[in-house]
Amino acid sequence: MLGRAWEATVAWGKRFWDDLKASTDASLLAILRFVGLLYGRIDTRLPIDQAFRKSLRHRLSRHAGWRHAFGGITYLLFMVLVVTGVLLSFYYRPSAEEAYQSIQNIVSGVTLGWLMRDVHVWAANLIVLAALVHMGRVFFGAAYKPPRETNWLVGLLLLFVIFAFGATGYLLPWDQWAYWTVTQGLAILGHVPLFGGALVEILRGDPLVSGATLSRFFAIHVIVLPWLALALLMLHFTLVRKHGVAPPAEAATEDLGPSDESGVPFFPNHFLRSLIVGVLVLSLVITAAALYPRDVAAPANPAQPPASLRSTWIVADVSRALIYYLGGWGFAAYLLLGAVMVLLPLFDRSPERRLRQRPIVASLGVVFFLAFAVAWAAGWHLRSVPVLASGELTPIEQPLAMPGPALPRVAPVQPAAQPTGTSSPRGPQ
Amino acid sequence: MRGAAFRSLMGVAVLATLLLGPRASQAQGTVVSADTANGCLACHAGQREAATMGVHSQHGVRCVDCHGGNADARTLPGGHQGHFIGSPNKVQTAELCGSCHSDPNRMREYGLPTGQLAQFRTSRHGQLLFGQNNADAPTCTDCHGTHIIYPPYDARSQVYPTNIPGTCAHCHSDEKLMAKYHLRTDQFEQFRSSAHGVALFQHQNFAAPTCISCHGAHSALPPTGTQVASVCGQCHALVDQAFEQSPHGAASRVGKLRGCLACHTNHGTEGVPIDKIGATCDKCHASDARLHQMGVDLQHSVVQASLDMESARQAVDALSLAGRQVGYYRFRYQSALTYYLQIAQAQHSLDFAKVDDLARRVRSVSVDLNNAANTSREQRWEHKLLLLPVWFLSLSAVVLAWLALRALRRTGDDDHRQG
Repeated sequence: MLGRAWEATVAWGKRFWDDLKASTDASLLAILRFVGLLYGRIDTRLPIDQAFRKSLRHRLSRHAGWRHAFGGITYLLFMVLVVTGVLLSFYYRPSAEEAYQSIQNIVSGVTLGWLMRDVHVWAANLIVLAALVHMGRVFFGAAYKPPRETNWLVGLLLLFVIFAFGATGYLLPWDQWAYWTVTQGLAILGHVPLFGGALVEILRGDPLVSGATLSRFFAIHVIVLPWLALALLMLHFTLVRKHGVAPPAEAATEDLGPSDESGVPFFPNHFLRSLIVGVLVLSLVITAAALYPRDVAAPANPAQPPASLRSTWIVADVSRALIYYLGGWGFAAYLLLGAVMVLLPLFDRSPERRLRQRPIVASLGVVFFLAFAVAWAAGWHLRSVPVLASGELTPIEQPLAMPGPALPRVAPVQPAAQPTGTSSPRGPQ
Repeated sequence: MRGAAFRSLMGVAVLATLLLGPRASQAQGTVVSADTANGCLACHAGQREAATMGVHSQHGVRCVDCHGGNADARTLPGGHQGHFIGSPNKVQTAELCGSCHSDPNRMREYGLPTGQLAQFRTSRHGQLLFGQNNADAPTCTDCHGTHIIYPPYDARSQVYPTNIPGTCAHCHSDEKLMAKYHLRTDQFEQFRSSAHGVALFQHQNFAAPTCISCHGAHSALPPTGTQVASVCGQCHALVDQAFEQSPHGAASRVGKLRGCLACHTNHGTEGVPIDKIGATCDKCHASDARLHQMGVDLQHSVVQASLDMESARQAVDALSLAGRQVGYYRFRYQSALTYYLQIAQAQHSLDFAKVDDLARRVRSVSVDLNNAANTSREQRWEHKLLLLPVWFLSLSAVVLAWLALRALRRTGDDDHRQG
């Protein structure tokens, strides 16, 4: 009796599934159609079905492979940041009085709040790495050459937007690490000739980093940058779609646009590949968030720099290491190298794509990415550096200084700056 | 036009010369000094600053008020006439100062006390000076300055709180001078590194005692053995109260014990380190097994309480780093700190039951805080359990997608090539 009921159920399920599959060649769409009550009515007026099917059938160049995944990973991490960011903004209070308490509430009060926050922190770090790997693939693969030079520039603007996201988001926890890292960052920005001082004035909105700064950073982080990123992303994707994936280095000539017949369809082939990569990246972010949560330092105290300053963002690590070891000029030189890379498509217009035939460009790229990696490692090694009350990181004119107790650098910080502010007990004599 | 303006300016200048000129030339003709008020400075020009700076010149005390003579005289013999005494000796100096500063009627408008000279006579300094006419002894001017005298609240004054130890040390660090009186010379160095000295010099805490707070200023003498506890107790009131109730207090009152100095030093004022309590007791009680054991037990209680405090502090730190709201835990920590500090008082009263009770309270709070920290740590650890379903689902998805890709490749639908 039970066995026959089971067989009947299975048979019904099979029939249902076959019907569903027969109704369209994309089973994903079939589910949408099954769910949407009004779908038919809309579709007769607005042929979504057709457009969707067309995009699923879209064929990518047969050269597109795993190494092209990093652009997608960057976008996935961006969407992770958007989703967790929106969830965080439900609970976060952007004022100097409430910010710290609201973070404490998110971490220890809200259900899965810790996950939201730590995934946001980790995604903000990993998106920088993913974007840089994506950039490196484009750079060494000569994918920035005409006709894709516009997209190279758009991509670099997006990288800049990612940096701006991280820099403005850094202040929002309003704890000692956040406060003093931003104070340092603004002090560094103030050294930029011509417009540095004015820019700092605008960003800070007060003689010190204060609630006014927090409001500005919050507004930039959740209003200005998301719209900017959206516009740039639309442009970026439209151009990718138009020009397709760049041919491999061995291909002598550029065949404009993917030929729809020779390529590999997006669905299901590339979709499956994206699924694998995406699922692994998401798991990785959640794992990092669960294993290495970002601690909550003591509340921001403008009167007392902390004894040490833990960095929680790759870019902060890198720039701190560059300034600490190379001084202001070294940092400026690195920025200049970056600017040269931005403007590269203006100079490097030869059709040559093989890396061995482009020694100058190749060495430029190697220096840029290697310096980033080395500076990151150095920043990891520094971990925490003492802070000056002025926010200056370290004497800028100090060239190639190695860290060590012999460095004459920082006014002694009171050991009373413990994370909780509780005083250590004296002997009861 | 310009000529007219120039002429009118010249007119004003001439008028001014006519009006002011005669008076200036008249003054020049009759007074030898430019300072019409003080003829002494005509010769003693080097003392001009002395006559114009400091609190005395500010209130109209002039050279002749101390040195005698006639400031209005125009000649040297005339100037040194009258009750001229020149440079007074040390005894004269003290009496000269006292002639005003012991007069309540004159000091009333400045709100100054008038007992300094009488006090000074009782001090060791005064005894040497007035009794033996000993020139080693200081007089008023040795501490307060001679001509330019600043009030004690002026940082330039030698008797400004942070300057007092240095002023005393000027003589009391002089080994040759002190050898005559069999006095030590290391008091200043000891004081500087003591709790009192650190508070005064490093923290600029003017509530901290200087030399005069214990020895007296004008009536400077070391407190006698039975006085010591009372002198310390002027600030350390609760500890003194506890000490007086203890057997040590009773012994101290009859002079068998040197009060606080039995365990602490006078100028160094170091506390007994908590791990040396037993050893300190043994300095007197080593022979008595029962009293020795009491010292060991006391040390154990205090050391344990201090370890509990440290562990409570770490627990609050951990809770804070984990993002907990720690207001309540900090409050508990502060209450434990109060109990911990009360141990000091109980310890001086030798009330060991109270010491144990307070140590137990400290421990109770510490255990509570550590429990809270452990709960938080466990909750944080439980976050990792989320990884099990996450990785199960993600690996399943990856495997399924991989199988689907392989199927596609087998059927030839996926002619994708690497690279």
